Amino acid sequence: MDRKVGLWKETMQGLKTWARVNSPWVLHFNSGSCNGCDIEILATLTPRFDVERLGIKLQASPRQADILLCTGPVTRQARERLLRIYEQMPEPKFVVAIGSCALSGGVFQGCYNVMDGIDHVIPVNAFIPGCPPRPEAIIDGVVKLLSSLASPTSKTQPQSLEVEKVSV
Amino acid sequence: MESKREPERFTIAIGPQHPALKEPGSFQFTVDGEIVTKAYVRLGYAHRGIEKAAEQRNWIQDLYLLERICGICSHIHATAYCLAAEQLAHVEAPPRAQAIRVLVAELERIHSHFLWIGVSAHEAGFETLFMYSWRDRETVMDLLEGLTGNRVNYSVNVLGGVKCDIDKEQTAAILKGIEFLEERAHHYFDVLTKDTMFLQRTRGIAVMSRNQAEVMGVNGPTARASNVARDIRVEAPYAAYKQYPVKMALDTRGDLEARFVVRVNELFESFRLIRQILATLPEGELAARFPRRVPAGEAVMRVEAPRGELFYFIKSNGTDKPERVKVRTPTICNMTSVIKLAVGNQLADVPMILAGIDPCFSCNDRTVQLREAGNKTSSMMTWEELRLHGIKFYEGLYK
Amino acid sequence: MNTEEILTLASGIVSSWDWATEISRPNPKQLDVKVNSLQELVPIVVGLRVKRLGYLAAIVCLDPGPASKDMEVLYHFCPGDAVIALRVRVPRENGVLPSLCEVIPGAEVFERELHEMFGVEISGLHTPDRLYLPDDWPINVYPMRKDFDPNVLSAN
Repeated sequence: MDRKVGLWKETMQGLKTWARVNSPWVLHFNSGSCNGCDIEILATLTPRFDVERLGIKLQASPRQADILLCTGPVTRQARERLLRIYEQMPEPKFVVAIGSCALSGGVFQGCYNVMDGIDHVIPVNAFIPGCPPRPEAIIDGVVKLLSSLASPTSKTQPQSLEVEKVSV
Repeated sequence: MESKREPERFTIAIGPQHPALKEPGSFQFTVDGEIVTKAYVRLGYAHRGIEKAAEQRNWIQDLYLLERICGICSHIHATAYCLAAEQLAHVEAPPRAQAIRVLVAELERIHSHFLWIGVSAHEAGFETLFMYSWRDRETVMDLLEGLTGNRVNYSVNVLGGVKCDIDKEQTAAILKGIEFLEERAHHYFDVLTKDTMFLQRTRGIAVMSRNQAEVMGVNGPTARASNVARDIRVEAPYAAYKQYPVKMALDTRGDLEARFVVRVNELFESFRLIRQILATLPEGELAARFPRRVPAGEAVMRVEAPRGELFYFIKSNGTDKPERVKVRTPTICNMTSVIKLAVGNQLADVPMILAGIDPCFSCNDRTVQLREAGNKTSSMMTWEELRLHGIKFYEGLYK
Repeated sequence: MNTEEILTLASGIVSSWDWATEISRPNPKQLDVKVNSLQELVPIVVGLRVKRLGYLAAIVCLDPGPASKDMEVLYHFCPGDAVIALRVRVPRENGVLPSLCEVIPGAEVFERELHEMFGVEISGLHTPDRLYLPDDWPINVYPMRKDFDPNVLSAN
């Protein structure tokens, strides 16, 4: 009986991973960037790069998103909203920081109104450098994240159910 | 049985989640049924303290900082800064450099307007036009990449000139690309002015008279659509616009359709200008020598960004860092018009009105704040809760 | 009218007024009008508007530093290619400028920015709310002043 339950759990886990990897729903948030990275993210949806053929769909609501694509150096005003959006996303969730500003503040490092990077506010799973990164680079980064999910290692396991608020 | 109820006024928040918006803002529209009665805007989500940072970096570092104020019009910011700094340093960039600056500025205008056509269509729910125009936009992105090495943030300017040159192959590629884009622009002009479904969203909506536009201080294509003849390239030519004059695109109607027509006409003018520049590009150097320390003084530079008039004020105190850099972007002037125009129009038209001034995107927030008129209490609801509230409300009403 | 004619005309009009102003031409395209009294700012702006001498392009504030007891506020009006800059000195501490909202509604956003960045009080503003700075920004901290200390923020 135990063996049957174990087999059932394993199958369900495999099915969930398959669905998550093959059809991730992404949410995009701009935490104060110059919009260069945001245009490149939108360009990935347009016919030349077309991520929808990979199953990636842009969502408007955090409640239905798997992956948060975040750009911008996180201004003080946007920080609260970013945290709120992150908390609204259901588990398991992943965050991709796109662009130099999201990684470290970029050219705005040290400015009085920025938090110098998304990982100062929420935990990040993947970093995509560039100013802005090309759409191919963004797709590559997201695909790398998905491949690591398909064959999970300890570094990319979904976040624990107890979400700790990252203090700034 | 007569049922009496107090009119309920809802305040609907739009934003601050805005993909690719220059100034992501939080708008609050108070509605009475479908008609907007009051509008309020809260900016500050992309405020990064750039003016302060510019005072702490040297002139060359500031060039790279100011380019990244906006990803869509990064070249025009850099151009304005370089022209103002060159004015202070009494340095004249060579004619070839000025012409290349104008060339890239016009290519940027083309890219921005195609982007805008797609985005406004997306606001209107016309996804097909969004996809088509962004596909066509890839052509101009390729041209810019071939010329400068990057699709966004081209970084063509250096203090004293430009760093990228154009050779015969690039010229041929640009001309071929322009030909394709011009044919597509004609097609979009037809769609935007003849498609009945789209015209219902744009014709006669959010009309701004010439007087209103002047009083509110609107600039750029938004003003030109209301017959305000204001175009810095024509009134105060900078860089190579004296050698390559531009014709202003004006429209008298002042509604959303006029704003579309003006921008597409500007596209045609840009195509013509690029052909003219490529045919008569002056020979010469690419950059003049620029001093490390800029002499003290003040300079004002006004340029025509794709969105309107961009104003730069630079003050130097003779050191290698500027004393003050003031940037006044066009959207802040046009934002007042959104607030004033939204009032009296339907809520469904508000995203189009916002898109009409070309601020990039706006996206709906996920909660609605219900504020009962006359009652100081308010409650936060999700869309689902609001839907159930509505069902219960009407059930109670008609029992 | 070309730039020179516009500025000569403007210069003549401004000098014919009774208000306390000093005129200078720092460069061929610019006319600087130094307004010596804060109360006369609004009448001068009305005068420029009536004569259709340009639209308000920007309001810029210059802070020479904590040693100076005044800051300078510049109002740039742009008729065609020319720039007319009205220069007003306002005290650093408790300085109050009259608002231009009644004359030029579009000036409101510029004045809100001026207030929250430099701490200049504007009397008569319709909406004195924050424009660019976040909601949790400490009050009486003006980031664009030369004596702004970023450590004040991390203390909060």
